[in-house]
Amino acid sequence: MSDAIDLPPVLDLVAAPGLLESFVQRRGDRLCIDASRVQRLGAQCLQILLAARNAWAEDGNALDIQNPSEDFTASLELLGTSVGGLTNGTQKASGETDR
Amino acid sequence: MEDPLAAIKVTFFQECEEQLAELESGLLAMESNVADSETVNAVFRAVHSMKGGAGIFAMDALVRFAHIFETSLDKVRSGVLSATPPVVAVFLRAADLLADLVRAAREDSAVDEARIAALGVEFERIDHLDGAPEAAHVVPASECSAGDGGGQSGGVSTWNIVFTPDQALYAKANETALLLRELHRLGEVEVELDESGLPELQDMDPEGAYLTWRVTLRGECGEEDIRDVFEFVQEDCHLEISKAEPYGFDPGTVITGDNGFKFEFFAPIVEEPEEEDRKAEVKSEANVQAAVERPDPAAPAAAGAPPPQSKTVQAIAAKTEAASSVGATIRVDLDRVDRMIDLVGELVINEAMLSQRVLEAGIARSSGVAMALEELENLTREIQDSVMAIRAQPVRSVFQRMPRLVREVAAMTGKQVRLVTEGEATEVDKTVIERIADPLTHMIRNAIDHGLESTDRRIAEGKPAEGTVRLTALHRSGRIVLEVSDDGGGINRPRVRQKAIERGLISPDAQLTDEEVDNLIFLPGFSTAEQLSDISGRGVGMDVVRQSIQALGGRISISSRPGKGSTFSLSLPLTLAVLDGMVVSVQGHTLIIPLGVIVETLKPRREDVFPLDGDLNVLKLRGGYVPIVDVALCLGYGAQHSDPAQSVALLVEGEGGARAVLLVDAIHGQKQVVIKSLEANYRAVRGIAAATVMGDGRVALILDVDAMVQNTATDARRDLAESRQLEASAGER
Repeated sequence: MSDAIDLPPVLDLVAAPGLLESFVQRRGDRLCIDASRVQRLGAQCLQILLAARNAWAEDGNALDIQNPSEDFTASLELLGTSVGGLTNGTQKASGETDR
Repeated sequence: MEDPLAAIKVTFFQECEEQLAELESGLLAMESNVADSETVNAVFRAVHSMKGGAGIFAMDALVRFAHIFETSLDKVRSGVLSATPPVVAVFLRAADLLADLVRAAREDSAVDEARIAALGVEFERIDHLDGAPEAAHVVPASECSAGDGGGQSGGVSTWNIVFTPDQALYAKANETALLLRELHRLGEVEVELDESGLPELQDMDPEGAYLTWRVTLRGECGEEDIRDVFEFVQEDCHLEISKAEPYGFDPGTVITGDNGFKFEFFAPIVEEPEEEDRKAEVKSEANVQAAVERPDPAAPAAAGAPPPQSKTVQAIAAKTEAASSVGATIRVDLDRVDRMIDLVGELVINEAMLSQRVLEAGIARSSGVAMALEELENLTREIQDSVMAIRAQPVRSVFQRMPRLVREVAAMTGKQVRLVTEGEATEVDKTVIERIADPLTHMIRNAIDHGLESTDRRIAEGKPAEGTVRLTALHRSGRIVLEVSDDGGGINRPRVRQKAIERGLISPDAQLTDEEVDNLIFLPGFSTAEQLSDISGRGVGMDVVRQSIQALGGRISISSRPGKGSTFSLSLPLTLAVLDGMVVSVQGHTLIIPLGVIVETLKPRREDVFPLDGDLNVLKLRGGYVPIVDVALCLGYGAQHSDPAQSVALLVEGEGGARAVLLVDAIHGQKQVVIKSLEANYRAVRGIAAATVMGDGRVALILDVDAMVQNTATDARRDLAESRQLEASAGER
């Protein structure tokens, strides 16, 4: 079973609650995220993407990001991470291992 | 989806306007050598705040130029560069460019890169002028200034920044990504994301704040530069900035010498900061640890203590305190104020109607009801005054636009001009302010272009090479008077007269007084310039200025002395919402005559009235003759007064000093009335300026005295039926 999320162009404070809800609803399935339309990514949506990555890794389900737009990739880089950092759920970030 | 940044952006641009105004006035003070160190600081702060705000919105051109400007200002502030006239001149031009860049950012239009580059060169030049050791240069976006604190003294420093936003930071539409982008401007940046505070997906508050960023910044910048980036969010985040040890080796490095000696480098001993707050100490330690651990990203990061809950409360308390100490202000939509003014106007009318009803009911003046009503009347008047005061603004906002105009026009005409402004604090209704900007602009252009002589000619005539244009504002008898004067050659009356004859505006044998000749320049299509210049002659002349002033219920007059200069005076009502008027009656109709135009009231004597041809009579008054305007006849209420001695005469003065005597049946006293626009509610009617509602609920028309004075009887009759019809249709309220 595989589900998909098409990320909206603007992932800001206003978009965050909807984004979180869409992840919560799809929990338990393989998930494919289409990031081709993203023009702007803010920190609050980033933390939802990170939490989703952790949740999917915990469930042992795959989480993929497809067609990341240039803006999406650049925003992630600006915020200190990368597209890979959102998908490699099994390899947790530095602080995460000790929690 | 509404962009939450949009609202903040609007506020940012509003603040820019204020800061640009502050910048301009500060620079002008510097120009006239009356600036103290606080003025220089204020100027610096204005540019600096604009830079900070623009950075948040990624307005690159604005940020870059503000940075160059700020660097030079900082040198003045620190005494490295002295504010000599050439330096201030560059600053003034930079302020103009900055204003244009703000406008470009607001309108999302293109910026003039050539102008930015040219001013960049100017900044370099002034640095050399002063023999400053280091020239300010046009810095690329990735560099930053030397000069701010931090002891970097031109060298590259490495800074460790730990940034943990609070939820409030995001709630106020700030964004970490934008702040990080700002840091990129300061130098080479490495960003490490610490997500150790991230909760489980299902436990997340989508509007919460769980992430921390550790940034290593290498660049020629100081701590102040970094703090500036966070200036607008400092109360809503936890921020640590520390300088990495620039010398030596990373801790743990071992160097083995040729002779087998080994040196091992330990982490530097960091002195405990002298902060009483224990939490701050904890964070500080965490920061040092983080800095030390950086070479090994796999090592567990020391989790910084979460920001204390009370921080927001403290920030709010601090803000409240700051607000109360610095004259608190709020921004209110103009529509809301206008709505309130309308309502207060209705309240005044209602109160008057109530008084009338009480009077009609035969209730004694000494009764409790009547006395309570009187109190209500006073209260209503106070409310009205207070609401009007909300709309009142100092004319400063208009005056501040003028120095730039003067500089530009002076440059275009090659004349040296000094603008002197007085009475900037004079207050007047906002609507009036908005509508005087264009006429004033035109008059100042005229004063420089036509009024002032060329520099050569001034010198030849023994005048100072620099011409002076004076712009003043003052309150006089319930009106605001604005004057634009120049010390030029005055109006060249023979030439004006000649032009008027050439254009068929007057007949060649017309006998005109000096004043009448001066007033010819207000005739439509009149232009004395030999060639239409770029500056004042665009087919829009003083006639348009006069029209717009008259539309505001104002008057314009000229006084000019050959060789000495001219003065244009504008007299305008302080507000367009209420009017002090004389209540008169004509053939049973109540009319209002604006008090401002009434010179005196008198009872004409039969022997002083002399008939001329047709309906026209003149009144002999103190040795002179003044035309009589019979209001009843003019408005078509009835036939001419058969016996002028049975009526009351009001001597009024129209535009340009033209006088006339208005004949009415009776005077009922003075009254402040709420102006109701005829144009908005009905349509423009000649001879009638506006309308108001009286206490008895009837509509009273407010006379357009200028039209009355100028009107010929025939013109007036054409509009008779109209005004009659208007009153009938308004009826009782």
